Amino acid sequence: MRAICPICGYVYDDAAEGVPFASLPDSWSCPMCGAPKLMFEPEAAPAAPAAQPAAAPLADDDMQQLSAGALAALCSNLARGCEKQYKEEEAALFRQIADFYTAAAPAAEDPSLEGLAALFRADLDGGYPGLSAAAKAGGDRGTQRVCVWGEKVTNMLYALLARYQREGEAFLQDTQVWVCSVCGFVYIGGAPPELCPVCKVPAWKFDKIEGRRPA
Amino acid sequence: MKKLIAVRNLRLCTKDCLCLYVCPTGASDTENSVIDTTKCIGCGSCAGACPSGAISMVPLDYPPQQKKSEAVLAPAYALANAKARQEQAARQLAAAAEGDGLYRLLTAMARSVRLVNEDLLREAGYMLPQSGNAHALLQRLADEPPGPAFPTAAARSLLARLPNNDEP
Repeated sequence: MRAICPICGYVYDDAAEGVPFASLPDSWSCPMCGAPKLMFEPEAAPAAPAAQPAAAPLADDDMQQLSAGALAALCSNLARGCEKQYKEEEAALFRQIADFYTAAAPAAEDPSLEGLAALFRADLDGGYPGLSAAAKAGGDRGTQRVCVWGEKVTNMLYALLARYQREGEAFLQDTQVWVCSVCGFVYIGGAPPELCPVCKVPAWKFDKIEGRRPA
Repeated sequence: MKKLIAVRNLRLCTKDCLCLYVCPTGASDTENSVIDTTKCIGCGSCAGACPSGAISMVPLDYPPQQKKSEAVLAPAYALANAKARQEQAARQLAAAAEGDGLYRLLTAMARSVRLVNEDLLREAGYMLPQSGNAHALLQRLADEPPGPAFPTAAARSLLARLPNNDEP
């Protein structure tokens, strides 16, 4: 059988590898992007005949309002838009507003790893399929692209959280955590991947996440 | 009136200095390698001469941005609010994390979710800082600041500095 990585498209071919995919340990991960074995899908998956996804649920009025945290992201996005146009002063002003909203975002009540995983899961089960269907129906290619990238990144976050919950600190000992500064893909390894498996930017676009006490 | 200005990508610049030879106004002779936008006349000679492709000509005016439909915006905003909750939870959990591994993982996740959310909102009508949507938001914030700590001066300054592309 052939198993495909849902993040980067890497194909594990039993015939070529000699070891059947099913026999690999659960700790095995994609050699290209680090996605865990559990996320791989059999290649033979029948191409679902364009399952017409249900129309996106109608949003309540209050859903159309952006929360303080969302406004923080909106403004830090505009700051990045200014940076790309080499407008440093405007970028700094948008960052001031973004920082205000980041600080104003209400605290999560009793946050937990399980709760965070459930939030990721809700996006994967409902948020992305709904938005993707609406974008497809409206011929909005840009938003469809956002859904493809965002869904892959969220899948990876969900999988990494699950792996941490299984293995604890041992999972991240003697290795590094990297974030793609363009799409947000998170990669665990000694060095970042040569190309981001989601958005294809080169390794230098990855940022290493430092611990509280850098060695 | 010039329509373009030259900007240099320092990561690509190999200091061949052809820009110095061809610039008619001396806009590229700065010590920090940032091209002087007040001197640049937008002629493009430096971008054409640069052997490493480190200089690009960036427009001063941007076109109106793509319109977005309400049917897409409603679920996009709902998803943006969900992402904001995840970022907040990840940040709080990182602050409370005891292990260094968990701290790094959750810090990475908070940053990751923010990047995903920025991307989402960029495509949800906030691509250009010069857009009508960005202006309307800044105007609302300047008129009715959402709190005493809100940097109203920043919003007013942005309104004055950025043109509104969606206005005829």
